[in-house]
Amino acid sequence: MAAHLSYGRVNLNVLREAARKELREFLDRCAGSKAIVWDEYLTGPFGLIAQYSLLKEHEVEKMFTLKPGSLPPADVKNIIFFVRPKLEIMDIIAGNVKSEVKQRSHRDFHILFVPRRSLLCEQRLEEQGVLGSFINIDQYILDLIPYDGDLLSMESESAFRECYLENDQTSLYHAAKGLMTLQALYGTIPQIYGKGECARHVANMMLRMKREFAGSQNQILPVFDTLLLLDRNVDLLTPLATQLTYEGLIDEIYGITNGYAKLPPEKFIQKKQGEGGKDLPTEPKKLQLNSAEELYAEIRDKNFNAVGAVLSKKAKIISAAFEERHNAKTVGEIKQFVSQLPHMQAARSSLANHTSIAELIKDITTSEAFFDNLTVEQEFMTGVDTDKVNTYIEDCIAQKDPLIKILRLVCMQSVCNNGLKQKVLDYYKREILQTYGYEHILTLNNLEKAGLLKLQTNARNNYPTIRKTLKLWMDDVNEQNPNDISYVYSGYAPLSVRLAQILVRPGWRSIEEVLKMLPGPHFEERQQLPSGLHKKRENRTTLIFFLGGVTYAEIAALRFLSQMEEGGTEYIIASTKLINGTSWIKSLMDKLEAPPF
Amino acid sequence: FYVQESYQEKVEVRVAELQKAVDEYSKARNEFAAKATEEQIKLLKFQRKLQDETDKPYVDHSLHDTVYNLLLEGSHRHAEQLYKDFKIPDKRYWWLKISALAEKNDWEELEKF
Repeated sequence: MAAHLSYGRVNLNVLREAARKELREFLDRCAGSKAIVWDEYLTGPFGLIAQYSLLKEHEVEKMFTLKPGSLPPADVKNIIFFVRPKLEIMDIIAGNVKSEVKQRSHRDFHILFVPRRSLLCEQRLEEQGVLGSFINIDQYILDLIPYDGDLLSMESESAFRECYLENDQTSLYHAAKGLMTLQALYGTIPQIYGKGECARHVANMMLRMKREFAGSQNQILPVFDTLLLLDRNVDLLTPLATQLTYEGLIDEIYGITNGYAKLPPEKFIQKKQGEGGKDLPTEPKKLQLNSAEELYAEIRDKNFNAVGAVLSKKAKIISAAFEERHNAKTVGEIKQFVSQLPHMQAARSSLANHTSIAELIKDITTSEAFFDNLTVEQEFMTGVDTDKVNTYIEDCIAQKDPLIKILRLVCMQSVCNNGLKQKVLDYYKREILQTYGYEHILTLNNLEKAGLLKLQTNARNNYPTIRKTLKLWMDDVNEQNPNDISYVYSGYAPLSVRLAQILVRPGWRSIEEVLKMLPGPHFEERQQLPSGLHKKRENRTTLIFFLGGVTYAEIAALRFLSQMEEGGTEYIIASTKLINGTSWIKSLMDKLEAPPF
Repeated sequence: FYVQESYQEKVEVRVAELQKAVDEYSKARNEFAAKATEEQIKLLKFQRKLQDETDKPYVDHSLHDTVYNLLLEGSHRHAEQLYKDFKIPDKRYWWLKISALAEKNDWEELEKF
């Protein structure tokens, strides 16, 4: 069971169970022993739905990674391909099937497309002359994957790029479909708000899909009261800033993929003592991070500066608990102590892990480079000298710091200045091309298309107005006991989350002016509920959907709002992908490599 | 588009493709890109010449790396020439020179400026 999914007000285990059921049904349709050939990209997301044990129960004996050439030998009746609908992948499959048919006798082939089958792909298989070899071609609709108790993700890496750069709305269609699935399980969501082009699009698709099912009324009492759709390009600034929550920093520094972080092993060796060997583990340590772990749930969303205090307090509590054993006198007391041992030991090892991670992070956050970088970010966000060439960026380019770091800073300056002056923009671009190579001209071009870098067209910079109206910068931030969402960036309150907060109270009407300055339309729709399902509730639940990615710090800020007494709104967060500035910029880069001469 | 094309072929072909890119960029009135592409052509030609002269790989390094490598090799003359031809900002050039010379442990040359 996945306990971490069901603790919240909305039981996301229901969604996971539905997904598992469908998977089981498909597997049972292919009778007999099976081997699964995985599109490598899918293994991570699938891990969140079903473990190997579930597959095993359904006679899955072997698993391979999809590779060109022939398949590794396996004595099974069925071969199932779990793949994304991509043409390159079809070619690989065709190669696999051909060589398999040549070598061995009879096999049953199946394809499971995730999340949707595509006519183009089937045509490609036909061209390759292998379409007839497949007994089953099916789709496994996996739009929104439950990630944690309050978090859903489509795990679609390139969604931002597709929507805002390539004008490809496939992922929006998947988002709308995913929302329909959610509504089928959790009831119709009566109110829909949105801001941005893509949000408008998704809402339109949802309403259209609903009309198509007009006959069947959904009789489930709605779990969600409100859906808020937000375009990522409404708030380009937030992901560019360095996240300062514990979880955010783990992601910034080491990266979290599908709920797992890979950490350098050096700090974790003391636990390997039992194995005797003195050799250092070279494999990075892989840790699963979610709210099933009590300690992690407590500290993940805190500002990193507040994590140390919690850890040392916990350490004291745990060692005090272990000391208890000296006080246990009667058999009953000893028995009680022993029964608590497993729990205490788990708590102790979890504490050891997080203390190690916190030490690793601290080494970095206390470095001069980190501090300088943060200072410049904060200057930009408060509007200091955003219209000039920044000397820190200049120095970083001269020392050839990682390109993504430079791009994050330059984009941030551009966003905070509502575009850069021609002279400043050209200067940066020239410096980047000369230092990192001409091929990045395409990346720069992409950033401009996405609006991250732009030329200041009209003389007026509206960022200060937005900042003041939405109170994006708070000087008196309290990192230990926060009273405002700005704690997640030590001063900067994420614009996206501010919009969500204001929507609840006092409503968007109060910030009409600012909404007009942000890109895309804002709108409100209502979906009729069958009579009898209306209800008055004190505590409202809002589903907030970020089209184009969400950061861990934004999630932390929303969780903070959920916990606030007077807010009265609990948030469930959905997104196309969990991102940070680095992974986000990377998804917008074009890489060109010339063949060696 | 032509920029993408240009990354597949030999230097001569690439120059030709990039020249087309320059034309397209100028048509699109993207002056910055046109100029940057012209400079890239100039750099490619220069790198090609260097490669023929020294038998060391220079093509496909950025301008910055090219200058850095030249300084490491001790060909200050070529480095100076690039610095002037491509109008590298003084500040960055000094950074470059200092770090290159430091890596080489060429303290004498460092003394000189």
